[in-house]
Amino acid sequence: MKHTVKVFLSLVLIVLLATPYKLRGQHSLGEISFPELEFEPPSVEEFDVGGVSVLLLEDHALPLANIYIRFRGGYGLFSRDLYAAVSALPSLIRFGGTEDLKPDSIDKVLEHYAIQTSFGSGGQAITATVNTLVEHFPLAINLLGTLLTEPAFNSNEVEVWRGRQIESVARIADDPARLAYSEFNRLLYGDHSIGWEMNPDDLEPKDLSLEHLLTVHSRIICRDNLLLGLSGDIRWSEIAHLVEELIDRIKPCSISLPEPPIPIIRDEPGIYLIDKKLEQSVIVMAHPTNLNLSDDPAYYSAMIGNSILGGGGFSSRILSRVRTQEGFAYSAASLWTTPRRYPGLLGAVTRTRPENAVNAVKAIVETMMDLVEDPPQPSEITTAVDAVVNGFVFNFETPSQILSRMMFYLSEDLPRDWLERYLTGVKGVTSKSVHHTFLEHMRPEEMMVLIVGDLERMGLESLTNLGSVRIMNGGEFY
Amino acid sequence: MRGFGAINFILVSLTLTLSNYPKPAGAQETTPGELLPVRQVTLDNGMRLLILRRPGAPTISFAVRFNVGGVNERLGNTGIAHFLEHMLFKGTESIGTKNLEAELQLHGRMDTAHDSLIEARIQGDSTRVLELSEEISQLEDSAAVFTESNEFSRILTRAGARGLNATTTNESTTYFVDLPKSRAELWFALEADRMANPIFREFYAEREVVAEERRMRVEVSPAGALAETHLATAFRVHPYGVPVVGYMADLQALSRKDLERYYQLYYGPNNAVVGIVGDLNPDQIEEWAQKYFSRIPKSELPPAVTAVEPVQKGERRAELEWDAEPQLQIGWHVPSGTHTDAPSLAILTSLLTGGRTSRLYRRLVLDSRAATAAFSSLGPGMRYPQLLQISVTPRAPHTTKELEELIYEELELLVRHGPTESEMERVRNQISAGSIRRIQSNIGLAFQLIESVALFNDWRETFRYSDKLRAVTPEDIMRIARTYMTRANRTVTTIVKTEVR
Repeated sequence: MKHTVKVFLSLVLIVLLATPYKLRGQHSLGEISFPELEFEPPSVEEFDVGGVSVLLLEDHALPLANIYIRFRGGYGLFSRDLYAAVSALPSLIRFGGTEDLKPDSIDKVLEHYAIQTSFGSGGQAITATVNTLVEHFPLAINLLGTLLTEPAFNSNEVEVWRGRQIESVARIADDPARLAYSEFNRLLYGDHSIGWEMNPDDLEPKDLSLEHLLTVHSRIICRDNLLLGLSGDIRWSEIAHLVEELIDRIKPCSISLPEPPIPIIRDEPGIYLIDKKLEQSVIVMAHPTNLNLSDDPAYYSAMIGNSILGGGGFSSRILSRVRTQEGFAYSAASLWTTPRRYPGLLGAVTRTRPENAVNAVKAIVETMMDLVEDPPQPSEITTAVDAVVNGFVFNFETPSQILSRMMFYLSEDLPRDWLERYLTGVKGVTSKSVHHTFLEHMRPEEMMVLIVGDLERMGLESLTNLGSVRIMNGGEFY
Repeated sequence: MRGFGAINFILVSLTLTLSNYPKPAGAQETTPGELLPVRQVTLDNGMRLLILRRPGAPTISFAVRFNVGGVNERLGNTGIAHFLEHMLFKGTESIGTKNLEAELQLHGRMDTAHDSLIEARIQGDSTRVLELSEEISQLEDSAAVFTESNEFSRILTRAGARGLNATTTNESTTYFVDLPKSRAELWFALEADRMANPIFREFYAEREVVAEERRMRVEVSPAGALAETHLATAFRVHPYGVPVVGYMADLQALSRKDLERYYQLYYGPNNAVVGIVGDLNPDQIEEWAQKYFSRIPKSELPPAVTAVEPVQKGERRAELEWDAEPQLQIGWHVPSGTHTDAPSLAILTSLLTGGRTSRLYRRLVLDSRAATAAFSSLGPGMRYPQLLQISVTPRAPHTTKELEELIYEELELLVRHGPTESEMERVRNQISAGSIRRIQSNIGLAFQLIESVALFNDWRETFRYSDKLRAVTPEDIMRIARTYMTRANRTVTTIVKTEVR
């Protein structure tokens, strides 16, 4: 069965730059007229092969081809005792050899033919990408099938992976930002998988036993979990049989994976401090929100609102205040996560020298308060909306980008024309709707603020002015 | 079809394919990049442009590269090239201001106070330093009333720009952005304006921003601090030894006048190369280039870098005590990226750490399991004699000393026996595939074109380089390893863990 998924894009001319900037010795910006941009995005074809959705985007510019694989089944769908095994699975599929090929034989084939692979995992899925010269596409897709369906989980490779993880855990405090983000995650999400951080207890040899690995492999690498994308200098008529062979080798799932539990996010405002002698403090703050990704005016208002608050770079308020105006930080941004089905977070991150840490937190909170108290300026709405509308064409720059996005829609059960809906939704955002969304969802004075920094130089008394201070030691408070 | 059958066939036929894919060593053939329809334009003021039409999404990538970076600095003004890069986003005489005259008047008062502050700092008068700092801060607040902060960026953001940024390296400063093709003329207008009429507003706050960037990249980053220490140990004369982000004391003493002088010296149109790649009309692009850039007057070309690093006569070692797990970095002095040995050196890095079958990765990470990662690179620039560097992350309980010994053993094997033909073939094949992959992205192509012109005065040279790489022989590898990777020529830097808290 073949469908054609086509996104029709009609970019409306937005009259920009009404301000007649007169450039000395140059021409006025106001004199420049911008033509309408006519563009029809490339078509993504969709096929059903053995019950698996296969997306294809032909691109004949260069003799290259890409294969994108997504299996539903990240560590978030398993219990903690399988955390390491699920996390290791993508790497060990790629590096752990197969029933008939040792790991170095596979390396030699891939490197000889200059086939690039990338295997990764997250809380919800494991993914793989293969990039090859098109003349080696049959070899590449065949080898991918072998890697996926006949893994040997070579014990040396398991140990290499385990050792790397143990070393990574030991080095977490070497990077204060990594320490801050992981501890903040743990603080907010506790025992839920979103809050999991790998620790030595997860990495005992038994956690990566062959039995564990085979269990998670059989439950994840099966047909009902699969989404497949293809792009490049290929035609369906030429590759259909290879795709069918690949899918044929992947067995149907014997057991459906459960939905992960809904997380309960800690909501206890205050200052959480990891005391560490550093020349720069890392600050991350947030509180839970219950606004989800959906075709809802509130969602679009939140996206534009976040752009104005701190997601829009130099056009946003947090960066303007914390960096440009105060000189406190090189980077400062807001975050507003909007998962499809769970609560998300609204907050901000920055880093600054210890003596400025308290003032940087205050500046961010004040910036948030301003947006709760008063609607944003119409010009700010215009800037944020124009950035989306005029830059919309960048959503179609590369086949990889287009296919990855389509695969995300399918996995998240979003409509195929989600991007077009997003464009329409964003155009409908007003100053009033953004203000309403901030009023409903943002609580600047109820942030949980985690700081990794030098307590002595920041000053306990100053920190206390921001809220109750809890000093964290290895995840516990004291 | 079962997979292993096909794969076994592949393994058996590996040797057979060597003769027909890809090209054998030394083969000279036009690479895909050389066939690109690049138009080169040189304006009367010396500005060079490389224009390339590539059908696809209606977007265009723009990059302008000035031939100035960390090597054009001295102790005392380190970090100035990078700081200037920040300041060129602050607007112009007409963009970013509500009242230019009022702004400039306040800038003058701030700068006078800053001169006094530097003098007070030299005298050790901390009270006066504090007073003057406060005065400068208040004057900058006053100037803010007349400023439209971040207006330059906002104009581009509204136009739908993506990837607006700039980067400063040891030998270049490049400003880049992607725009929808319908907004292309806007780029010319804005870029020409900031080349001709920049205003360094919000100077003192931005200097603090750069200081924060240094803290982030070096002062709380063991990897950044290790790299800085390593280069400072290896280069005692050549400015590759000073950090591009600058030393903190130098940053805190830089003045607006310093930046203005530096800008006048290095930002002439004849010191710039522009790359424009995307769904464009080359005639129209050339017309806009003439219209907007040709009015900018030519400058004197800046002075050349004359410092030469003396031959190193003895191993140098440096330890960096840090509250962090151990790291190892080894560097050997090698010639510049334009030297005839450069292709062999590039192949050598690939043989050592390029992929899982490379020698050091296999020995250190897979076989001995003494490390979790191993990388090698050439740098920190290409224009002047540089370093071949190896960086390794030990896996506890293995030490940096053990890793050093393993690395030297592997290098000795390479010097004695050279690489196998199969190793060389693997690298050559990756070069062939890489020569196609590297022309996928518009902004990546724009960077390649302007860097090739800046280094070799020929945009095609970057693509011809693939042939030079393919022509490298095992004997070349043995010779360069024997010549350069000696004990006396190396610098070894390690992080030694010291718990602070």
